[in-house]
Formats: sequence, structure tokens, C-alpha cells
Amino acid sequence: MNKTAQYMCLWSAAVMGLLVTVGWWPVAQFVPPPSPSLSAEQIAEMFSTNTFGIRTGMLLMLAGVGFFMPFIALISAQMRRMEHTPPVLAYTQLLGGSMSVMIIIVPIILWTTAAFRPERNPEITQMLNDAAWLLVAMAFAPGIMQNLTIGLAVLWDKSAKRVFPRWVAYVNFWMALGFLPAGLMTYFKVGPFAWDGLLAFWLPLAAFAIWFNVMFIALQKAIKEQHEA
Amino acid sequence: MSGAEITADAPMSRTRAERHMPGEEGVWVFIMGDMTVFALFFLVFAWYSGQAPELFAASQATLNAGYGLFNTCLLLTSSWFVVLAMNAVRHRLDRQAAVLFVLAACCGLGFSVIKVLEYGEKIGAGLVPVTNDFYMFYYILTGLHFVHVVIGMIVVLFMALRAWRGVNLRTHLSFLEGGASYWHMVDLLWIVLFPLIYLMK
Repeated sequence: MNKTAQYMCLWSAAVMGLLVTVGWWPVAQFVPPPSPSLSAEQIAEMFSTNTFGIRTGMLLMLAGVGFFMPFIALISAQMRRMEHTPPVLAYTQLLGGSMSVMIIIVPIILWTTAAFRPERNPEITQMLNDAAWLLVAMAFAPGIMQNLTIGLAVLWDKSAKRVFPRWVAYVNFWMALGFLPAGLMTYFKVGPFAWDGLLAFWLPLAAFAIWFNVMFIALQKAIKEQHEA
Repeated sequence: MSGAEITADAPMSRTRAERHMPGEEGVWVFIMGDMTVFALFFLVFAWYSGQAPELFAASQATLNAGYGLFNTCLLLTSSWFVVLAMNAVRHRLDRQAAVLFVLAACCGLGFSVIKVLEYGEKIGAGLVPVTNDFYMFYYILTGLHFVHVVIGMIVVLFMALRAWRGVNLRTHLSFLEGGASYWHMVDLLWIVLFPLIYLMK
């Protein structure tokens, strides 16, 4: 029972990945991101020409993000198995993950709001779009908390058969640092540190993709080993 | 990294003669990952510098290479202290190692003081990250490195505490070696960063 539930949690993350990617990228066409240097009129035009795509893409993303929750719970459940690891780490990870989901939901609703009445004053649409991008890409604090707590828990794990290999901790610490450049997008509208830039957008996105795959594989192994014993 | 292929085939027993890679494998995952990120930053800097060579050269001329050079010496010295400390640990001179680790951290503190003075001087002169592309990179690259220095100082102080309380070579050596490797990486990154930003024409 526990094993089946854990595998369901694991694979629900794949559902999340699929729906969010499809909604965000080909349907809403938000990847690559629209440059923050675009004028209000250009942004408004984007929302009025691809209205249906943006509304549908956001709906797909909304349907998808919920499936991230069981994955986060699974990480905490496996963290609780680690011997001599303080429970507060698993709880902080759970909180960080919940906030991350929230941080994805709010910009989706902001984009949906922007596409709800695309004929309105372009400056209002631009503001909604600005807020959505800054939220989705700059709010790194909960994610960093997840990385730090997972990393610490893995290093403190004294189980005879470790739950995660130790290098998973260092991938998490690296990820925490890889998130940081995203904070710089508050200062720039063009260049590598703007929200569509190489170092503020693509680097954290790539780091997240690596982290996600590492955690997926590590969790899959951990579930398998838990039920072999 | 010449030891990587040796340790890959080595048995799990951790005798000192067989171990060529300091620290645990995971530390090297972090170090390689982090250096890849910095390499990407350096490449982007070089590309932007190539787009506007006059602007970058003129802005570079306003930097005080003396600060940078002094900081290079401080970091090299601190790396040397860490090497001496690790040597002391291996010779069971734990208290001496602790003092050397603290000296290494002090060099890091000196680096930080100089860095803050330098930033203050630049900001006072109205040169901020939004001044131009060169200053954007200057603040972000040195700032990101500075974050690494601060983390490194905390790590080295924990190493000093560990050494002061006594080192068990079997269980504590990989933490000390991993921390030392990280500190050397911070040093190495500065050695690339300093000529790239302060000197290179």
C-alpha cells in the first residue's frame, strides 16, 4: 500500500512536468519569455492575439501544479526515514514546497487575468504581466529553503543504508546557489540578468531541470530500497 | 583530477595511501557544478566585452587594481594557511590546525573588508550596477564570488572548531578535506576573476 502510494506520488511529478511544460511553452508561448523591455502596447498585443492560447495554457498549468504536491510530500516522507535527522528539516522542506506551488499558482492567475479582458488599457495588462514574471522567476526563497533542508538532511543521515546518496546533498546546495542570479532581474530590462536573460532565466531553469531529474531518480531508488528490506 | 580514475576503481576501504581525491565525491559534484556556472558567467562577460571594447576598457580603467591585487594575495595566503592546517591535522597537531584555520578565516575577513571599502568607494563615485554593462558584470561577478567567500569563511570556522575539539582521522577527514577543497575553489575563482575584470584588455 505504502509502496504504491509512494510510486503514485513520484509519477504525479511527471504529470506536473508534462502539463506545465505544454501549457507554458507551446500553448501559451511564454517560452522564451517576452522581453521586459517590450512596450505596454506590444505586451497587450501579445495577450490579444494569443488570447485563446494563453487562457488554455494557463488552465493546463493550473491543472498541472497540483500534481507537484504529492512529490514534495514524498521527499519529506523519505527525509523522515533518515535516522538521526531532525524532523524540522522535513517540515521546512514541506513548507518550502507548498510555498513554491503557491508561487506558481499566483502568476498563472495573473496571466489569466491579463488574458481575461485583453481589450483593456495596455498599461494595466503590462503591469499584470510584469508582476507574473517577477513572481514566477524571482521568488526563489522557498526553493532555496527546500534545497538547504534536503541537503542538510542527506548529510546528517546516519542510516545503515542511506536513503539518498550523499552527492544528492551537494546537487541541492549547488541548486541553491544556481537560483541566486534570478534575484538580479529586479534591476534589469535587457541583457543576461533580465527575466528573459541567459543567467537570470535559462540558468535557473536548467538548474531546476537537473535538480528535478536528480530528485526523481533518487526518490525512485529510495522507494525501491525501502521495500526490498 | 588525475586521481579520479584511480579512486573510481579503488576498493571502498579508506586507507590514506589509496585515496587520491580529497573529500567525498559529492563535494566534487558541487565544485564542478559551481565552476561550470562561473565559466558560463565568464563567457557571457567576455562576449559582452567583445561587443563594446571601448566602454569596457574605459570602465575598467576606473577600477583600483591595487585592491584586487591585495585581495589576491590575501586569498592565496589563506589557501596556504588551509594547506598548512590540513598538514597539521595529518600530523595530529589538532590545536595548531585550529589556529591555522582561524588565520585562514581572518584572511577571508580582510578580503571582505577590502571588498566593502571598494564597493563603497565605487557607489560613492556614482558607479552602480546600472551605470553600464561593465559595472553590471563587475558587481554581479564579484558579488557572487563574495557570497562564496562568506560561505567559505563560515565553513572554515566550523573546520577550526572541529580541529580544536580533536580530529578523528577516520570520520572527520572527509569533511575537512571537502571544506578545504571548497576554499581552494573560491581562491581559484578569484584568480580567474581578478585578471578578467581588473586587468585584461
